[in-house]
Amino acid sequence: MPFDPALAEAALAYLMETAPVLVLRLDAQGRVVAANERSRKVLGAEVLGRTLAEVVVDFTSAPDLVASGSHDQSERLLSLNTVSGLPESFLFRFLALPDGTLALGSPDFDEQARLQSELLGLTRELNNLTRQLHQSNAELRELNQLKNQFLGMAAHDLRKPVGVIMTYSEFVLDEAGPELPAEHRKFLQTCLAAATGMKRLIDDFLDVAVIESGKLGLELAPATAAEIVAAAAEIGRLVAKKKQILLVVAPADGTRRLGVDAAKLQQVVLNLLGNAVEHSQPGQRVWLSSQWEDQSLTFAVRDEGPGLKPETQARLFQPFAQGGTRKTAGERSVGLGLLITRKIVEAHGGRVWVESIAGQGATFRFALPVPPQPVTPPLA
Amino acid sequence: MPLLNSNAATLWGVDGAYTSYFEALLRGHRGRCQAIFEAWLDAPVDVRVLYQEVVQRSLYEVGTLWEQGRISVATEHLATAITESLLNLVYPRLFRQPRIGKSAVVTCSANEYHQIGGKMVADLFELNGWRGYFLGANAPRGDLLDLIRDKKPDVVALSLTVYFHLEALMETAAALRAEFSAMPILVGGQAFRWGGRERAEGIVGVRYLRSLGELELWMNSREPHAV
Repeated sequence: MPFDPALAEAALAYLMETAPVLVLRLDAQGRVVAANERSRKVLGAEVLGRTLAEVVVDFTSAPDLVASGSHDQSERLLSLNTVSGLPESFLFRFLALPDGTLALGSPDFDEQARLQSELLGLTRELNNLTRQLHQSNAELRELNQLKNQFLGMAAHDLRKPVGVIMTYSEFVLDEAGPELPAEHRKFLQTCLAAATGMKRLIDDFLDVAVIESGKLGLELAPATAAEIVAAAAEIGRLVAKKKQILLVVAPADGTRRLGVDAAKLQQVVLNLLGNAVEHSQPGQRVWLSSQWEDQSLTFAVRDEGPGLKPETQARLFQPFAQGGTRKTAGERSVGLGLLITRKIVEAHGGRVWVESIAGQGATFRFALPVPPQPVTPPLA
Repeated sequence: MPLLNSNAATLWGVDGAYTSYFEALLRGHRGRCQAIFEAWLDAPVDVRVLYQEVVQRSLYEVGTLWEQGRISVATEHLATAITESLLNLVYPRLFRQPRIGKSAVVTCSANEYHQIGGKMVADLFELNGWRGYFLGANAPRGDLLDLIRDKKPDVVALSLTVYFHLEALMETAAALRAEFSAMPILVGGQAFRWGGRERAEGIVGVRYLRSLGELELWMNSREPHAV
C-alpha cells in the first residue's frame, strides 16, 4: 500500500487516542517521553519520565531489552504494574527510533479469550456441583428420616417382647426359684440379665430415634440440684453396689430451682454413673457432685477407672463411639449413651465434656445455663 | 442512554425491583442482583414466577440486546454467569419438596454451552415432586447414557439453545431411542424458534414442549408417560 500521509495521520491518532494497546516512546536512556491514552490509563499519567524498568514487575530483562538495542521485532512478554493495583501482561515489540525506542504493548487477546472460556466453564461446573450437592443432601435427609422411622418402629416392637421375657423370668425366679435346682436358677438369671441388657439397648435406640427425628421434647419444671442428684443416686447406688463399688454423693443445693426436664437430667446423671461403674474395678469409688456457679449449674461424675486417651475423648460423644477401654465386667453397649447424654444436655442449652488423664480416672461434667436456653436439637 | 427500553422495563409483581435487577445484571453487579433476588425469595415469590418472570425474561432481554449490538459478548456472559449463580439460592427450598417417586434426567445437547434453560427444566421437575437430575452443558453422550442406566428415570429431557446444534440433539435422541425403546423424550429450548420441531418429533416417543408452563402441564397431566 503506498504511503498515504492522511491515512498515517488517522492511524496515528487512533493509536494515540483510542487503540487498546500501549504506545510508549522511550529516549536513549529508556525513559518514557511520550505515552498514548491507553498507556496513561493503564499505567497512570506519572509514567512519563519514568523508565520502562520502573513499571515492569519483573524488571530483570527490561533494561537489557532497551539498553542493548535489541530491536529484533520479536515479541516479549512483560508484566507491568498498573493503576488498578493488579499487574497486567502485555506482548511488547521494541522498534528503533533515531533518538530512542518505540515500545508497543498489546494484551494477549487469545490468552484472554481462553481464560474467559475456562472461567465460564469452571463457573458452570461449580454451579452444577452445587446443585448436585443440594440434591444429594436432600436425598440423604430423606434416607436419614427413613432410618429413624425404621429404628423407632423396630425398637418399639422389640421392647414389648423383651419386657415380657424379663417379667416372666423374674416371676419364675420369685415364685419357683427356691424349688429349682441351682443350675436352672442360674439359667433363668442369665436370661433375665441378657433381657435387661437388651432392653437397655432398645431404650437407647428409641431415644436416639426420637432425638434424631428432632422430636426430643423437654417437659420443663422447676427442680433443685438436690432433687436431681437424689433421684439418680438412689438407682446409681444399687448399680454400684452390685459391683462392690462405693458411690460417694456430695451434698447438693436444695434451695435454688431451675426450669429443667428433671427426668431427662436424671437419665443423663445415671448414664454417666453407669459408665463410671462399668469402667471401675470392685473396691474403687465413684463420686457424684453438683455446684452452682454464676451462670450455670454443673454436675460432675468422677471415677478411678483407667481414664481416657485424648484421641478417644475427642470422639466420645459421637454416635457409636466406644471409650476404647474395656468395661471391667464385660458389660455390653453400642456406644449411644454418651450421644444421648450430649443431646439431652444440649437441648437444655448446656454442654457436656470430659476431663481425664489416661490411667488416672475420668471426670464427666455437664453444665446447664441459668436460665436454661432450650434449643431444637440438630438432626444429626 | 439507558440499556432498558420502556417495554423491556415493564414492571411485574414486586414494585420496580425488576428494573433495578436488570440494570444491575447488565452492569455486572452480582451483589445487587443477589440482594434483590434474595428479597424475592424471602417475600416469598413463587420459584416458578421467579424463573419465568426474572430468570427467563431477563436472559431473553439480554439476548435481544446482544443481537441488537447494544451489549458485548462479555456482558452477556457475565449476566448469564450471575443469573446461574442466583439459581443456587433457590436450591435450599427446591429440594425440600415432597417426592412423588418419579425422576427425570435433563441435559443440554452435545456442543451446547448454554445450560440455564436445561437447569430450570430440571428444577421444575423438582418443584413438582420429581427428582430432576441435571447433566451439565456439553456432557458427553456416554455420560448421559450411563446416568440413565443408573437412575432409570421416567423421562429424559433435552434442551437446545443454539439451532446449529440440532443435529447433535437428533443423534442423542436416536441413541436414546435405540437403547431405551419406551423412554419418553422431551425436547425444548430457544433453538426451536428457528425450526426443528418436526424433525425431532419424527423420532418415536419424542415430544416438543414450548415452555416451562407446557412442561408443568405435561407433568401434571393424567398420563404423563403418554408422550
